[in-house]
Amino acid sequence: MEVTLLLESTDNAFRVMERAREHAVGLLDTAVQFTAEQTRFRQEKRGQLLFTGTQKRKTQFQNIVGTTIILLAFWMLLSGKFDAFHLTLGVICCALTAYLFHDLLFANVRVGDMRVIAARFIAYIPWLIQQIILANIHVASLVLRRKMPIDPQIVKFKTKLETDISCVTLANSITLTPGTITMDIKDGVFYVHAVSQKVANELNAGDMEDRVAHIFMEADHLYVEDVLDAARIYQTLRT
Amino acid sequence: MIQESDDVIVKAVARLLVPFIVVYALYVVMHGHYSPGGGFQGGVILAASFVLLGVSHGLEKTRRRMSEKAAMVLSSIGVLIYGGIGALCLILGGNYLDYAKLGKILRVTPAEARSLGILGVEIGVALAVMAVMCTVFFAIFTAEESPEDYRSLE
Repeated sequence: MEVTLLLESTDNAFRVMERAREHAVGLLDTAVQFTAEQTRFRQEKRGQLLFTGTQKRKTQFQNIVGTTIILLAFWMLLSGKFDAFHLTLGVICCALTAYLFHDLLFANVRVGDMRVIAARFIAYIPWLIQQIILANIHVASLVLRRKMPIDPQIVKFKTKLETDISCVTLANSITLTPGTITMDIKDGVFYVHAVSQKVANELNAGDMEDRVAHIFMEADHLYVEDVLDAARIYQTLRT
Repeated sequence: MIQESDDVIVKAVARLLVPFIVVYALYVVMHGHYSPGGGFQGGVILAASFVLLGVSHGLEKTRRRMSEKAAMVLSSIGVLIYGGIGALCLILGGNYLDYAKLGKILRVTPAEARSLGILGVEIGVALAVMAVMCTVFFAIFTAEESPEDYRSLE
């Protein structure tokens, strides 16, 4: 009887010890897992920081190189001397300027877009010159007529342009065209002085604004929406 | 104290023009011994770019590039370059600012030494003029802060 009790109690003791061991192993496991997760998390965070840091430094480097190239072209235009001494001076000056002012020239521009924007801007210039010539003829005809049928007015319109540089391009295009002058831009609202009703109507048609938006790729999502709408209509028509 | 301008056109055009103005000023300085221009003119144009930045983007952003302390140090460095080149010519046995004597150190003919010496002096003059102009600009445009400081002291 006592022997069986003793055996049972030792058996129980062993079972308790076994369970305690299991618990301990489980605890150790979770601890190991936890520390592993923590180190992994820390490494991930460090990698992320490294990545964003390098990304920032990379764009900064690209800005510096791009600014240097543009300024070097400007320097050569001014200098006109192409011997080694003056070119070295130019490279040093331009690199120094680019290092000090790298964040000014490409403030709101993604680097990949630059080539498209430059090509579209060059394509925009002939159209602008044509508009300026037409407006010149119109204003000259207004002035030369005996009655001088002018109708001065201030046109106010809200623009769909988003960045500062596109707003400035539109404002300066309007000012360059005779008969219209941009007076102010306040919170995306243009205040334009127009000399006659015809000029004001052309301004309100918004052809120039569309073209400027096209240069800076700002209305592209609007065009995409238009295309999608057209596709849906086409489908309903077909069925 | 000048605040940041709220005119989009002024801000964007100033932003695009400032690097070109700086390069133009450096061109005027570096080509001063061939064409019109030189240290004084280049230095003033250089200072004008900082003034444009200050008027359009506010004084705080300008201070980040050119603080009052840096302007003070740069003006001293400019005078040091000018006086140092002059004194170097004295040490080498010539008159003050007698650039031909610099040929001994630079290992070039006296004519080339004159050209390089004038270039060095012009860089010094440009630095000093630019820094002093910036100091004057900062002094004028932060002047309205000082009466309040005096008032608070009383």
